[in-house]
Amino acid sequence: MKKTLIALMLATCGLAMAQTAPTDTLYKTFGEKPGLVKLMDDFMVRLLADPRTGPHFKPSNQQRVKEQLVDQFCQVMGGPCVYKGADMKSAHANLDIKKSDFNALVEVLQLSMDAQGIPFRAQNQLLAQLAPMHRDTITEK
Amino acid sequence: MTNAKNAVALALAALCCGLAQADTGKLLLTGGVSSIDGAAGGGLTPWAVIGTNATEGEIGASAHVTRASTQDYGLTTYGAALGFKDRIELSVARQDFNAAPSIALNGIAPFGVTPGQHIKMDILGVKVRVAGDAVLDSDTLMPQIAVGLEYKHTRPGSLGSVFNFLGTRTSGVDVYVSATKLFLAQGILVNGTLRATKANQNGLLGFGSNAPGRDSYSLQPEFSVAYLLSKNVAIGAEYRFKPNNLESLGRAAGLGDALREDNWKDIFIAWAPSKNLSLTLAYVDLGRVVPGITGNRKQTGAYLSAQVAF
Repeated sequence: MKKTLIALMLATCGLAMAQTAPTDTLYKTFGEKPGLVKLMDDFMVRLLADPRTGPHFKPSNQQRVKEQLVDQFCQVMGGPCVYKGADMKSAHANLDIKKSDFNALVEVLQLSMDAQGIPFRAQNQLLAQLAPMHRDTITEK
Repeated sequence: MTNAKNAVALALAALCCGLAQADTGKLLLTGGVSSIDGAAGGGLTPWAVIGTNATEGEIGASAHVTRASTQDYGLTTYGAALGFKDRIELSVARQDFNAAPSIALNGIAPFGVTPGQHIKMDILGVKVRVAGDAVLDSDTLMPQIAVGLEYKHTRPGSLGSVFNFLGTRTSGVDVYVSATKLFLAQGILVNGTLRATKANQNGLLGFGSNAPGRDSYSLQPEFSVAYLLSKNVAIGAEYRFKPNNLESLGRAAGLGDALREDNWKDIFIAWAPSKNLSLTLAYVDLGRVVPGITGNRKQTGAYLSAQVAF
């Protein structure tokens, strides 16, 4: 039991360390560009409706934010897009964003992905690409 | 123990404040569940996560109750924890261990153990996150790392004479370091904890031993692995090494392996039906627990824990 468990845990670590390089499999799972456009339309509606995230997005140019998110998500998923917006740090420098705001956005995104029928595993693959952005987007530490 | 009572009162007061306060913002299940000792983690071992729903800049509180029962013993634990800014965790727990089989010890010597004896233990814990973010640093192998301390005080009741015979003290301090990493893309969480301890059966049988048992600290590793089935359901397993301080003393006293202590393990499923509630069901295998009075049986059984967190 002891040896099996240790072997299992080492195997788990090995498996997990083989961080998957972005291929376009994920992009296809999300329904490519049309799928991402649909996802962002739904995401923005939810972001505006949620009392935690709404105040951050109401003053923004929502159409533009959606387009940039489509490009950005498409790019991190290995799709044929190039995100041309500002880098994450300068894009958020003038905003008051706490870790709880970041987490709230993740939760709203999860709801949107659920609504689009994106499998949990694929959701986490995307979130793993996005999560490190916490370093540049959270301004209130 | 008034300290523990005060801490509970403090925690409950904070809990009520938490209820009235605005939302705290941790992601679901990322504060772990409550371990039997009160610290946030898995069931049998603490993790590097800071408990409660509070993330940076927030204060949160949690409370839990846990019941585990095996062939010969039963353990009820309840407690509370405060989380400060995802940095510091204070916890308090009280354990009530049904040690009824210990009446058999009167057959070895006139210990005066009373029927249906329970052993009570209070645990004050503090944990500090020193580095990393277990969840969001998904582009590096760097885990979240925390150091922790658990002060435990045991009240053996009529088993005090047995404690004296064994030379085990009624209080002790465990020190541990934990590293927790969520491999987000794979949905796999791994935790490793290294504990320095003198505790016998987690402290329920006191701390240290008369010679030739071991009376010094030893380092004991503990491992957990969990797999996220969905946003709010995780399954996993734990393995916790134990010191086995008393066996050689028992052997020298002609009792064979009567006082042997085995490693602990479990498999669990945790479910968070809401942000404020989590339920954990586990099958625990505590190995032999004083096998000399329990027919050398392994102690296995069910473990059920409920936690509310704000």
